[in-house]
Amino acid sequence: MEYRSQKIAYWYFVAALPLFVLQVFLGLYLGSSYAFTIPQEIVDVFSFATARSMHTNLLVLWMLLGFMGGAYYIVPEETQSEIYSPGLAYFQLVALLVTGVVALIGFFFGWTQGRPLLEIPRPLDLVVVVGALIFLFNIGMTMLKANRWTVIQGTLLGGLVFLALLYLFGIPFYRNEVIDWYYWWWVIHLWVEGAWELVTGAILAFILMKLTGVDRHVVEKWLYVEIGLFMFTGIAGTGHHYYWIGAPRYWLWIGGIFSALEPLPILLMVIDTMLHVKERKTQIVNPLVWTYAIGCAVFHMIGAGVWGFAHTLPQINYYTHGSQVTVSHGHLAFFGAYALLNLTTFYFAMPKLKGIEVFDDRRGKIGFWTMNVAMMIMGLTFGVAGVLQAYIERVLGMGYMTAQSYMRLWMLVTIVAGVFFLAGLLTTVTDLLTLRPAKQEA
Amino acid sequence: MTKKTAFWIFLLGTLSSAVLFLAATWDTHRQVETLSNVDKLSEQVVAGKRTFEKYNCNDCHTILGFGGYYAPDLTKVVQRIGADGIRYRVKSPELAFANSWRKMPNLNVSDAEIEDLIAFFTWVGEINNNDWPPQDSKKRLSRGEQAMVATVGVSPGAAVFQTKGCMNCHALNGTGGTFGPALDTIGRELSAAEIRTYVRDPKSVDPKSMMPAQTGLSDRELEEVAKFLSNRK
Ligand code: HEC
Ligand code: HEC
Ligand code: HEM
Ligand code: HEM
Ligand SMILES: [Fe+2]
Repeated sequence: MEYRSQKIAYWYFVAALPLFVLQVFLGLYLGSSYAFTIPQEIVDVFSFATARSMHTNLLVLWMLLGFMGGAYYIVPEETQSEIYSPGLAYFQLVALLVTGVVALIGFFFGWTQGRPLLEIPRPLDLVVVVGALIFLFNIGMTMLKANRWTVIQGTLLGGLVFLALLYLFGIPFYRNEVIDWYYWWWVIHLWVEGAWELVTGAILAFILMKLTGVDRHVVEKWLYVEIGLFMFTGIAGTGHHYYWIGAPRYWLWIGGIFSALEPLPILLMVIDTMLHVKERKTQIVNPLVWTYAIGCAVFHMIGAGVWGFAHTLPQINYYTHGSQVTVSHGHLAFFGAYALLNLTTFYFAMPKLKGIEVFDDRRGKIGFWTMNVAMMIMGLTFGVAGVLQAYIERVLGMGYMTAQSYMRLWMLVTIVAGVFFLAGLLTTVTDLLTLRPAKQEA
Repeated sequence: MTKKTAFWIFLLGTLSSAVLFLAATWDTHRQVETLSNVDKLSEQVVAGKRTFEKYNCNDCHTILGFGGYYAPDLTKVVQRIGADGIRYRVKSPELAFANSWRKMPNLNVSDAEIEDLIAFFTWVGEINNNDWPPQDSKKRLSRGEQAMVATVGVSPGAAVFQTKGCMNCHALNGTGGTFGPALDTIGRELSAAEIRTYVRDPKSVDPKSMMPAQTGLSDRELEEVAKFLSNRK
């Protein structure tokens, strides 16, 4: 840690981790609702719908906290100055956490906007917007005052502003269901395949530069090309969600072609990570951080690139749209790209924030491999269930519940893998919260 | 490649895609008027949409394929089970799905709200959305039926039964829906002719029947499925 205000990041990370754990507990309830019969009395009180809104909102909340913490860590080093106002940063953390907790309790009592992934009620949306404005102001002022612009800074700030702007499209009430979904995807798709990719690109470039000692010049050149391709394919690629909503037919062409190219920038990210690692000018001090960085690039490619491509063409999407195939992709992509990116940041920054140079990574390694293997298995079992559903329900037309009865077994296997995932996650979280220096031997 | 070239790749990539996207957005707004029948988008439809959101139905059910995947897609639910079917299921899910291994909560939706929901689903069902979902597309399923006869070797009647929505509500050999009775031994009770009459218009046989009239079947298909069922003894 070079700057005192980087310590802010630590508390963002600490806040994010328990939310991740809670998210996974709710995931297990969702999985159980598929595999077992939850009695009517329980369903009437705590339904799948409530649990799902908690599962997904927790996901978004902890990841945004992670990104913000990441920004508070990176910006001082990049601008070579302290954060404009640490007080505001802590205030904003508390405001977001309180909003999140109120929202979760609200869901339980049926206070919801009732739109998937955007369930947070509109009054709370306003608090979120204020929080985001404070955050952007704080980061922006730090950069402006320092006036030492770099591509990494620019990408990070651009990504965060874009992210905040898109959120606004999710707030209004739309009378027309078609238009509603049209703009719903401006939040969801343009986040994960646009703004978040910018933030990810910037954070990963920063970490790689610090880890490998490769020239800033080289790292930033790659970064420009990557984010250029992300934007080029990702923006028009939104069309892959407009095939069946009642939008004009040309979206089948725009969406199909642009989204089919979306794996390219991800592939580029894998290649440049590998290259930088190979051409490193430094010693590997904490191998686990390197493992995470590479794991993140590779799993990003699998979950988003390969799994995304698999169902993005209209001819296939017609049968897989809104099935467990989507869930399989959603899990692999969110975990591979953004959960691992956040964990990479945590493992990179938290030891430094605690003043530990070389940390003991034995538990961390176990956690990494358990989570990754378990999530890959979950992706596959969700996937098998999804293919069964697409075939039995949609190709053969044998009805929704008929298909579900054939999928039940696979959802059961998913829960078993999910329990292993939870074990890996608990190991990881414990490890991060109680990092200790490695025993001196080498 | 210099950093400057890289910068231009970024700028042109972003701008070209954004321009195309925004132009298409503008045109989409124009065309959605017709594609979604905006003239029929009444206040009651909007009220139905609000109700749909109020009870968070969408985190279990997909609509237009988006949402939770835990329960049947509701895009064409009116075509599938009819307005009465919706009333009964939303009002008393604990009865409607008593035999099912997956439950829908009783959300205490008021009668007026249910009527709004029906108006909303009716409007959604008429959106011109490139014939999705396939399971409710008559055109696709006729093809599925033919494929089944040709490849799996089932009888034409069995293929009709499996692909024309009967299995949404009825089970055979332990698989299928639970809303209607299992039909494994229906041939002991009804003849082919009786089944034909019943399926075409259940209320003409039993005014209290909960089965909606199956109007999507051609005469030939009805013939085949009745023959198939009457042989189940
Ligand atoms: C907790 C999840 C959940 C919620 C919330 C929920 N449902 Fe359901 N719903 C189900 C399940 C599960 C089924 C199918 C049960 C079966 O067939 O065995 C179902 C079936 C239905 C059906 C019959 C569909 C068909 O094709 O047979 C309709 C109509 C329906 N629900 C409407 C609604 C409406 C309207 C709401 C909101 C007011 C709602 N549901 C909220 C779980 C839910
Ligand atoms: C939306 C649900 C639904 C669908 C779809 C449906 N049925 Fe039914 N069916 C029922 C219900 C419910 C009953 C029981 C009627 C009652 O007494 O209320 C029933 C009864 C029957 C009976 C009479 C059973 C008896 O014991 O008297 C036959 C025969 C039958 N259905 C055939 C079919 C066929 C063939 C199809 C497909 C073309 C079909 N059904 C589609 C719900 C459905
Ligand atoms: C890291 C990046 C990504 C993440 C986190 C992600 C996540 C998701 C999620 C959560 C959904 C489901 C949304 C819903 O309906 O509730 C989804 C849908 C989809 N994604 Fe991705 N995705 C990513 C990248 C990609 C890429 C690169 C492609 C294509 C090459 C892609 C193709 C699709 C398609 C086609 C759907 C629609 C599925 C359907 O029709 O139901 N995704 N994605
Ligand atoms: C034990 C582990 C987990 C289990 C059993 C689980 C299970 C589930 C289930 C059953 C759903 C609902 C899908 C539906 O509507 O039918 C869901 C949704 C979702 N989960 Fe998980 N989950 C787990 C962990 C995670 C993790 C670690 C992530 C991300 C890093 C995640 C991200 C998501 C997303 C993005 C959705 C929405 C998917 C969509 O709309 O397509 N889950 N989860
Ligand atoms: Fe997308």
